[in-house]
Amino acid sequence: MAPRGDHAARALPLLDARGAVDHAGAAARFNADAERTGWHDGALWFVREKRDRAAASVPEWETLRDLASAIKTHTLAHLDEYLERFERAATARGIVVHWARDAEEHNRIVHAILAERGVRRVVKSKSMLTEECGLNPYLNARGIEVIDTDLGERIVQLRHEPPSHIVMPAIHLKKEEIGETFHEVMGTPAGLSDPDLLTAAARAQLREHFLGADAAMTGVNFGIAETGGIVVCTNEGNADLGTALAPVHIASMGIEKLIPRAEDLGVFLRLLARSATGQASTVYASHMHAPRPGQALHVVLVDNGRSEQLGRADFWGSLKCIRCAACLNTCPVYRRSGGYSYGATVSGPIGAVLTPGRDLQRYASLPFASTLCGSCTAVCPVKVDLDTQLYKWRQQVAAAGLVPARKAWGMRRLGALLADAQLVQLAGAVVRTALRALPSGVARRLAGGWGRTRTLPTAPKGSFRDWYRSNRPRS
Amino acid sequence: MRGARCARLAAEPDPALVVRASLFVPCFVDQLYPAAAIAAVEVLERLGVEIDVPDGAPCCGQPPANAGFAQAGEAALERFVETYAESEHVVVLSGSCALHVRAHAGGLIGAGRRVAVRTMEFCAFLHDVVGVDRVAALGASLDARVALHIGCHALRGLGLATPSERMLPPHNLVRALLETVQGLTFAALSRPDECCGFGGSFSVDEGAVSTRMGDDRWRDVHGAGATALVSTDVSCLLHLRGVAGARGNALPSWHVAEVLAGRVR
Amino acid sequence: MSARDEILRAVREARMATFGRSALPGLPTLPKTRADDDDARDVLVERFTAATRAAAAQVDHCQRAQVDALVRSWFPQATQMFSMVSDVPGNVELPSDPHVLRALDLFVCEGEIGVAENGAIWLPTSRLGMRAALVLAHDVVVLLSRHAIVRDLHAAYSAVDVSAEAFGVFLAGPSKTADIEQSLVIGAHGACTTRVVLLDD
Repeated sequence: MAPRGDHAARALPLLDARGAVDHAGAAARFNADAERTGWHDGALWFVREKRDRAAASVPEWETLRDLASAIKTHTLAHLDEYLERFERAATARGIVVHWARDAEEHNRIVHAILAERGVRRVVKSKSMLTEECGLNPYLNARGIEVIDTDLGERIVQLRHEPPSHIVMPAIHLKKEEIGETFHEVMGTPAGLSDPDLLTAAARAQLREHFLGADAAMTGVNFGIAETGGIVVCTNEGNADLGTALAPVHIASMGIEKLIPRAEDLGVFLRLLARSATGQASTVYASHMHAPRPGQALHVVLVDNGRSEQLGRADFWGSLKCIRCAACLNTCPVYRRSGGYSYGATVSGPIGAVLTPGRDLQRYASLPFASTLCGSCTAVCPVKVDLDTQLYKWRQQVAAAGLVPARKAWGMRRLGALLADAQLVQLAGAVVRTALRALPSGVARRLAGGWGRTRTLPTAPKGSFRDWYRSNRPRS
Repeated sequence: MRGARCARLAAEPDPALVVRASLFVPCFVDQLYPAAAIAAVEVLERLGVEIDVPDGAPCCGQPPANAGFAQAGEAALERFVETYAESEHVVVLSGSCALHVRAHAGGLIGAGRRVAVRTMEFCAFLHDVVGVDRVAALGASLDARVALHIGCHALRGLGLATPSERMLPPHNLVRALLETVQGLTFAALSRPDECCGFGGSFSVDEGAVSTRMGDDRWRDVHGAGATALVSTDVSCLLHLRGVAGARGNALPSWHVAEVLAGRVR
Repeated sequence: MSARDEILRAVREARMATFGRSALPGLPTLPKTRADDDDARDVLVERFTAATRAAAAQVDHCQRAQVDALVRSWFPQATQMFSMVSDVPGNVELPSDPHVLRALDLFVCEGEIGVAENGAIWLPTSRLGMRAALVLAHDVVVLLSRHAIVRDLHAAYSAVDVSAEAFGVFLAGPSKTADIEQSLVIGAHGACTTRVVLLDD
């Protein structure tokens, strides 16, 4: 179903003539509303500042990052062994473990479990993996209603929009817009925009859904290989309400979410909430090792391109990601372009290194949605080398011939020019002469994209080399 | 990723410990902002560094490389390595260029590794090799409340200061250099090290975001009560000046070298 | 070949291509948490109290014998109260169907350990009775011995076996959300208030 309201256009990915995501075009559209861009940027920077304060309160913060990175690296280097161990341990405790090669298989497995029990309504707590797999529309098409229970997810669900941020799905919305949606769909008073009251309304409605749900779905923050348990972290308690009541719990887990031992959680849980929201801990960190009495607990292990990414020497590091979104919050480009401009389930810097591997042609613009400032790499709790990966994806995009022909040709010409000292001197002299001779308006127009929003430098008469030759003649 | 440390110079120059360095002036500085390079030459000379400025290497190759065409940028990088193969220190007047050389020259055969290791950004060279005391002896002065903008590659790539994201002991070697300037005070930006938005071809291909980032950086600078902007990177300066010029809210801005050379008012 | 076999094979091949077949990256030893003797009991309690309050929970102290009166003073109107703590008798029996607790006003339980760095309290099923009680109740009271507070999560994972029971949760404060324009709202889907009572004896 298409997104509704004024922001309908924004929620859909902007595609170019070849069906590739046009991040720059979408970002330009986003920036057309300067005030809203400032608001969006400020909201996310606020979260970055909270993260900074939380990280500063942990003296061994940088050590924890090193440990987390090393644990994840080790796990990925032995992933098949840990997956088998996890399956063994989980199965021994009565958890049913399934394996899904791709999104379609994941959806089929989930549907089969639900259909077998005649489930008509599922409550779901946040799972970016299920979003990635397109589970909701798949189930809807088969007569199963999915109620997203994370408040942010519920809000965008009611608006028929995808989440714009992996941790704060409705960060792009103002409370008035949310109030309007609630009024339309839930009958709350028109004009009500108080967050406490809106949340209370959602609580009341979702309570009924929790109590009436035939099944509960969750994601998995961490799977513990040694014990076969899964850990689900929330602030709202929606994962626990769903799973504490429904007779069947299906947990979808990306295969990269495993960690070896329960004690490793000490490292990851100290990093996760602080990196994501600046809290010392999420309200609930639920550890599930076996189904409730009379309940069925299913874990669906999903590959969907992860094993392929694991085999990429330059990009496997992105699989260390624990989905905290610190990189989104700190990215000056994400903050000023919004999640929708990436046209992918996971946006921001991590999205730009995870997604191109799925479809390089479609997502070719994502690695270029960056100044390579390195802030993302610096905040990442598991030390994913995001800026290096962005640079390397750019090489892949160019090598695949996916950089627009004119730019590609221009860059190759530039490379040749820049190796030739005399040519550079000549070109520079021409540019300087033109800058001095032309009226500034003309010069700016000739300067294309650069000149559209910037004045041009006052051109010096001579270059530095001219000065050096005159003033420091060789002895 | 700081440069190779050499014997710290004593306050009095010891003829036996002459520092020799080759200066690399990036193409865009050479052509569009020579004042920064002239200032750099003067500063280095006054500090007693024996410098040469070899011809032959106009560019480090970063622009095409960052655009995805590393191979296209290799010829320029090879030229760089050849030109500076015998240099004791290669002082680069750009954080981005210094980072590119340090990160990628080592992959080239020949003197690549040697050149990579000996390449330092200008401020890092002044701080680590020449020493802050000698820089202080330059006696620079500037009556200004300065917003210091360290280019992101210089900051996070080369470690010229502790980035705000990292929980590490604070250090800022560019600030340490500017602290030697009489009358210079620092404005506290609300976002100490947010990117200015240049990013190479990003500035054109993602013009809307790039411009917005530049605008926001200036808003912070003005909001902090700064009377001037000083940066380690000419590319940042050209972008920021251009954005401010279009808005009409420019403040005086200089490269660090110009401030230390006393070539600013 | 089953999906399982295919995935395992793909993973094995991928990780071997990336990491090689020998000298694989090792699993780091986690730093030993300093013995809690290093942190005076009072310091741990103070830190725990601050962290719990930062999580929007209320913290009080009393002797075990006084808890019942204290809880009743807070919730004189509680119609449905389920308690897992004998010192504070409730009026609702542990049901077999969690839905029975749908209108639960108050849930009282006792935590196994508390974590000073973040105010979290470990509550396994045996201490919850049933996990639904914790999230259905409008208000939650958690008792915790002041002697059961450890320094940080490393110490916590050393102190408890999180896999011992089918379910366990580290609980830090009442449920909350900031999903509407970053405004912090206390009381999302779970408990609207959480009070921690540190037992002095």
